[in-house]
Amino acid sequence: MASRKEGTGSTATSSSSTAGAAGKGKGKGGSGDSAVKQVQIDGLVVLKIIKHYQEEGQGTEVVQGVLLGLVVEDRLEITNCFPFPQHTEDDADFDEVQYQMEMMRSLRHVNIDHLHVGWYQSTYYGSFVTRALLDSQFSYQHAIEESVVLIYDPIKTAQGSLSLKAYRLTPKLMEVCKEKDFSPEALKKANITFEYMFEEVPIVIKNSHLINVLMWELEKKSAVADKHELLSLASSNHLGKNLQLLMDRVDEMSQDIVKYNTYMRNTSKQQQQKHQQENMQRQSRGEPPLPEEDLSKLFKPPQPPARMDSLLIAGQINTYCQNIKEFTAQNLGKLFMAQALQEYNN
Amino acid sequence: MSRFFTTGSDSESESSLSGEELVTKPVGGNYGKQPLLLSEDEEDTKRVVRSAKDKRFEELTNLIRTIRNAMKIRDVTKCLEEFELLGKAYGKAKSIVDKEGVPRFYIRILADLEDYLNELWEDKEGKKKMNKNNAKALSTLRQKIRKYNRDFESHITSYKQNPEQSADEDAEKNEEDSEGSSDEDEDEDGVSAATFLKKKSEAPSGESRKFLKKMDDEDEDSEDSEDDEDWDTGSTSSDSDSEEEEGKQTALASRFLKKAPTTDEDKKAAEKKREDKAKKKHDRKSKRLDEEEEEDNEGGEWERVRGGVPLVKEKPKMFAKGTEITHAVVIKKLNEILQARGKKGTDRAAQIELLQLLVQIAAENNLGEGVIVKIKFNIIASLYDYNPNLATYMKMWGKCLDCINELMDILFANPNIFVGENILEESENLHNADQPLRVRGCILTLVERMDEEFTKIMQNTDPHSQEYVEHLKDEAQVCAIIERVQRYLEEKGTTEEVCRIYLLRILHTYYKFDYKAHQRQLTPPEGSSKSEQDQAENEGEDSAVLMERLCKYIYAKDRTDRIRTCAILCHIYHHALHSRWYQARDLMLMSHLQDNIQHADPPVQILYNRTMVQLGICAFRQGLTKDAHNALLDIQSSGRAKELLGQGLLLRSLQERNQEQEKVERRRQVPFHLHINLELLECVYLVSAMLLEIPYMAAHESDARRRMISKQFHHQLRVGERQPLLGPPESMREHVVAASKAMKMGDWKTCHSFIINEKMNGKVWDLFPEADKVRTMLVRKIQEESLRTYLFTYSSVYDSISMETLSDMFELDLPTVHSIISKMIINEELMASLDQPTQTVVMHRTEPTAQQNLALQLAEKLGSLVENNERVFDHKQGTYGGYFRDQKDGYRKNEGYMRRGGYRQQQSQTAY
Repeated sequence: MASRKEGTGSTATSSSSTAGAAGKGKGKGGSGDSAVKQVQIDGLVVLKIIKHYQEEGQGTEVVQGVLLGLVVEDRLEITNCFPFPQHTEDDADFDEVQYQMEMMRSLRHVNIDHLHVGWYQSTYYGSFVTRALLDSQFSYQHAIEESVVLIYDPIKTAQGSLSLKAYRLTPKLMEVCKEKDFSPEALKKANITFEYMFEEVPIVIKNSHLINVLMWELEKKSAVADKHELLSLASSNHLGKNLQLLMDRVDEMSQDIVKYNTYMRNTSKQQQQKHQQENMQRQSRGEPPLPEEDLSKLFKPPQPPARMDSLLIAGQINTYCQNIKEFTAQNLGKLFMAQALQEYNN
Repeated sequence: MSRFFTTGSDSESESSLSGEELVTKPVGGNYGKQPLLLSEDEEDTKRVVRSAKDKRFEELTNLIRTIRNAMKIRDVTKCLEEFELLGKAYGKAKSIVDKEGVPRFYIRILADLEDYLNELWEDKEGKKKMNKNNAKALSTLRQKIRKYNRDFESHITSYKQNPEQSADEDAEKNEEDSEGSSDEDEDEDGVSAATFLKKKSEAPSGESRKFLKKMDDEDEDSEDSEDDEDWDTGSTSSDSDSEEEEGKQTALASRFLKKAPTTDEDKKAAEKKREDKAKKKHDRKSKRLDEEEEEDNEGGEWERVRGGVPLVKEKPKMFAKGTEITHAVVIKKLNEILQARGKKGTDRAAQIELLQLLVQIAAENNLGEGVIVKIKFNIIASLYDYNPNLATYMKMWGKCLDCINELMDILFANPNIFVGENILEESENLHNADQPLRVRGCILTLVERMDEEFTKIMQNTDPHSQEYVEHLKDEAQVCAIIERVQRYLEEKGTTEEVCRIYLLRILHTYYKFDYKAHQRQLTPPEGSSKSEQDQAENEGEDSAVLMERLCKYIYAKDRTDRIRTCAILCHIYHHALHSRWYQARDLMLMSHLQDNIQHADPPVQILYNRTMVQLGICAFRQGLTKDAHNALLDIQSSGRAKELLGQGLLLRSLQERNQEQEKVERRRQVPFHLHINLELLECVYLVSAMLLEIPYMAAHESDARRRMISKQFHHQLRVGERQPLLGPPESMREHVVAASKAMKMGDWKTCHSFIINEKMNGKVWDLFPEADKVRTMLVRKIQEESLRTYLFTYSSVYDSISMETLSDMFELDLPTVHSIISKMIINEELMASLDQPTQTVVMHRTEPTAQQNLALQLAEKLGSLVENNERVFDHKQGTYGGYFRDQKDGYRKNEGYMRRGGYRQQQSQTAY
C-alpha cells in the first residue's frame, strides 16, 4: 500500500511540475493554513466515487483514485476523477505512474481539467487513519500544496446519509513529516497531538442548475418509503463493529504504551548504572564525575520507539469515538422519535 | 615351453599382471582345452562345491606364485605390491586359518621372502645397480616383512628347522611353479610323483598326461583368467592340497576309496546346479506365472528326489561300509547339511530338499520319531531361512504350514517326546526308547515365526486383489495351528510359553467381530425352536469368553510387561468392538496405560492407538459423544491418523526419512484385514465434535475467551466457509459441515438429513454392526443438541417459550425437553426458570446483549490501557522528584482503582 502511495506521490510531483510549466499559474504557495479553505466537489465526482466503490470495493478492501480539478483562490474545485485499478497478486509489475500519466493525457485530450489536486479513498467503518494514508497524503501535499484526500464511507452512505470528508495534513504535521524524525523529543518539540494531525476542510457539492432542477423534480416524485433507511432502528450491528474496531485499536495502543514504558525503564536503568559505575571509577581515580553529556556519548542509549504510530492510533481512536458518538446520538433521537410515535398511535 | 610363440589368446591381457615374460600360452593348450571343456562336465560342476577354504587358499597360492616370479626377476617393487595384497588376502582368510592352522606354504613364502630380501640387502653391488624405485621398495618391504614376520616367528623357525616337511605340503604348487624353476625342491621328487599319480586318477577320462600337463601350464599361465576350466583345475589341486593338510595324506589308497563319496557329492552338486539354473530361469518369468512354475518346479524336484533316493541310500552304505543306517549316521549327515546353512553360496532350496530326503530315509528305516522330529525342526528352520530378505515374504508358505502340521501330528501322537530349546545338543535323546525322547527345538518359536511370515505375506499382497483373499483363507489354518500348539503347550509348556502362545491366540482373535455371539445375544434362547444346525453353529466358545480366559491367565502369570500390555490392549479392543463400553473403559483406566504408553515400542503403540480409536467408536455407538471425542482427539488432531494406526505411510514425510527407516516402518504396517476404516473414524470424530461444539459455540457466542473444543472441526468449518460457491455436499466432511451449519440455526431436520442419508449410509453408517441402532441414537442426539443450540441462540428474543412448542419443534417428548432445559438451568447455561402450571420457560434476560458484552470488554481494555499509561507517568515522576514519589504513587493508584471500579459499576448498571 505504502509503496504504491509513494509511487503516486512521485508522479504527482512530476505531473504538477509539468502542469506548472504549462502555465496554469496556480502555484501561489500561500503560507500554511490559508492554502485551502473550502472544497467544492462536482456532483459527477461524487457519483463516480460511489460507483467505483460499488463496483469494485467489498468488505474491508478499499478503492482509491485520483482527483482532478483546479484551485480558485482559497477554494479547491474538484471537477473530475478517475479510479486506480484494483491491485491483485498477478499484476505486480503494473506501472502505476505510467497509468496515471496515460490517463491524464487522455483526459486532457477531451478537455477535462487535468490538474492533480489529490486523491480519494473509501473506508471501512472510518478506519482510515493509517500510516499509509499519512505517507501518501504527505507526499501529495509536499508536491502540491493544495491537495486533499477525500474519504468516502460507503457504510454510512448506505444507511442513508452521504458521508464524504476532505482532509489535509496540518502544517505542523507537515513539518514533522519533513523532518522524518518521530522520536518522542521531536514530537514534543513540535507540540503535536492527535487532535492536530488532520484538518477537515468543509465540502460543498456543486451541481449545474439543470441538475438541480432535475433533483427538485425527482424529490417531488419519490415516495417517503425510499428514505426509510434513514429511520432504520436496527443499529446494533454497526455499533458492534465500531466497538470491535475500537477495541482492537485500544489493544494496539496498550501495547504501544507498554513498549514505550519498557524503553523508558531501560534507558533510566542504563543511565543510572553506567553513571554510577563510571563515577565510581572516576572517584577511585580521584577525578571529578563526568557531566551528563559525556555519559550519553559514552553509552549509547537504547533506540527510542517511533511515536508516530501511537499518534496515529490515538487519531484513529478519536475517529471511532466521534463515529460512535455521532451514531448513538442519532440513534437515540430515532428511538425517542419511535417511542413518541408509538405513544401517539396508542 | 614356447613362451613367446603366440600372443593372440584372449586371456593374455588379464594375466599380464603376473609379469610379461610368463604369460604367453602354448598353442597346444588351445587344442587341449576344447575336449576338456566338453568332457569334463563333472569337473565343471566342482567349482560350485569348493569350500571357502579352498577359495581363500587358492587366492593365497596365486599371490605367492606371483611373488616368487617377481623375486626371480628381482622386481622388488612388484614384490612389495604383491606382498601387500597377500597380507590383505591373508586377513580375509583369517577365519579359515584360525580353524586350520597357518598354512605351511604361507609360512614358507614369508621365510623365503625375508631371506631373499636380506640377501639383496647385503648385496651392495646389486643394490647400487638397482633403480631408485626398486631400492626404495626394497627398504620398505624389508621393514614391512620384518614387522609382519614377528607374528609368525615360531612358525618360521620351525619351518627353517625342517624345510623339507613344509615343502612337502607345497609340492603341488611347486609343480605348478613350472618345471624350470631353480629349486630347492629337487629332493621331493617322490612326493610330487605321488601328486601326479593322484592327478591322473582324478582325471580318468583318458586324457594323455601331456595334455593334462599342458592344462596345468595353462592354468599357471593364466592364473587370473576367469575361464572355467582354469578354475577347475585350480580347485582340484587345491582340493587335494587341503586334504593333505588335514593330515590325511597317509595313504594314496585310502584317497582312492574316498573318491567315491566325493563323486557322489559331486553328483548331488550337479543336481543342485541344475536346480539352480532352473530357478534362475524361473525368476526371470513373470510374477503370475511364477507360482505355477514354482509348483511345477516343486513337482519336478520331487521326481528327481525319487530318482535320487537309491543314490543317497547308497551313500550311507559307503560311509559305513555296508552297515545299515543308524541314528548316528543320519545325525551326522544332518549336521553336515546344517553346517552349510547360512553360508554364502549354499543353495537353500537344495538344502531343504536334502533334509526332506533325510526324513524319508529316517522314516523308511524306522529310526524312530525322535530323529524325524529333529529333522522336521530343521526343515522348518531352513524353510524360514529360505528367503533371506526380511521385507519380502516366503514363497514356500504352504509347505511350511504342512510341515508344522505334520510335526504337531507327531508330537501329539507321541507324548513321550520332550521338545525344548533349553535341551542341549549333547543331552538329546533321539532313539533310546526306554527313556523319554528329548529333542532340541522350540515349537513356540516356530509358530511365532510362522505368524510373522503370515503377517508379512499379508503386508505384501495387494489388499484389493483376489490373491489377498486367497492368502486370507490361510488364516484359518494359521489359527488352527496356533490352537494346536496351544493345546500342546498347555500340557507341556512352561507358563511363559503358555503366555506367549496365548498372546498369539489373542492377537488372532481380538479384532474379529463375533457374529455368532452377537446373534445369540440378539435372539435370546428360544430353546426348542432352534434347529439342530443352528445349535451346531452356535457351539464353540464365545470369543468374549475365550478372550477373558486367555487374558486373565496372562494377567496372572505373565512376567514380561510387553505381553501383558498387548493382552490388555487386545482385551480392551475386543470389548470395545463388541460394544461393552464400560468394561473396556474400566480396563483402560485401571491399566494406567495412558500414562506410560509412550515408553512402549512402536508396534505396541500402534496397537494402543488402534485400541483408543476402537474405544472412541464404541463410545460413539453408545451415544457418549463426549467420551468418543476425547478418545479420538489425540489421533485425529495430529492429522496423521493413517500413520498412527499403522495403516499406511504418509507421503508428506517420505522425504524426511531414509530408505532404512522406510523399510522399518513398512514392516510395522498392520495388514489390511485389521484396518480400521479411516473415513468412519473421521466421521465419528467430526460428528461428535459437531454435537459438542455447536451448542458450545452458541452458548459462548460473544465470549472473547472462548476456546475451541476441536480444532479439526473448526478447520473443516473454515474450509467450508471459504468455498466461493456452495453446492450440495459430496464428501463426508462436506456433509458434516453442512449439517453443522443447519444445527447452528437449530434446524435439526436439515441437520438430520445431512448426517443420515443414502450417501452417508453407504460411506459410514452401514459399516457399524448395528447400524440402525446407531442411526436412532444419532437422530436423538441431533434433536437434543439442536434444541440446546436453539435455546442458546434465540433465548434473547423470547420472553417466554412454551415447552410444548419446543417439543413439537424438535419432535422430542415433553419430559425430555423438560429434562434438557432443567439441566441447562442448573448448569447456569440458560438464565431462565420453568413455570410449571403453564409448562413454559420464562427467560430472565440477564445475559448481556452483544453490544453490552462488547462494551464490557472495551471497558476492561481501557482499564488496562489507563494502568499502562499511569505507569509511564509514574516513571516520569520517579525520575524527577524522588521525594514525593511514594506518596503520589499511592494516591494515583488509589484513584485509578476507584475510577476503574466506577467504570465497572456504571457498566454493570447499564447492562442490567
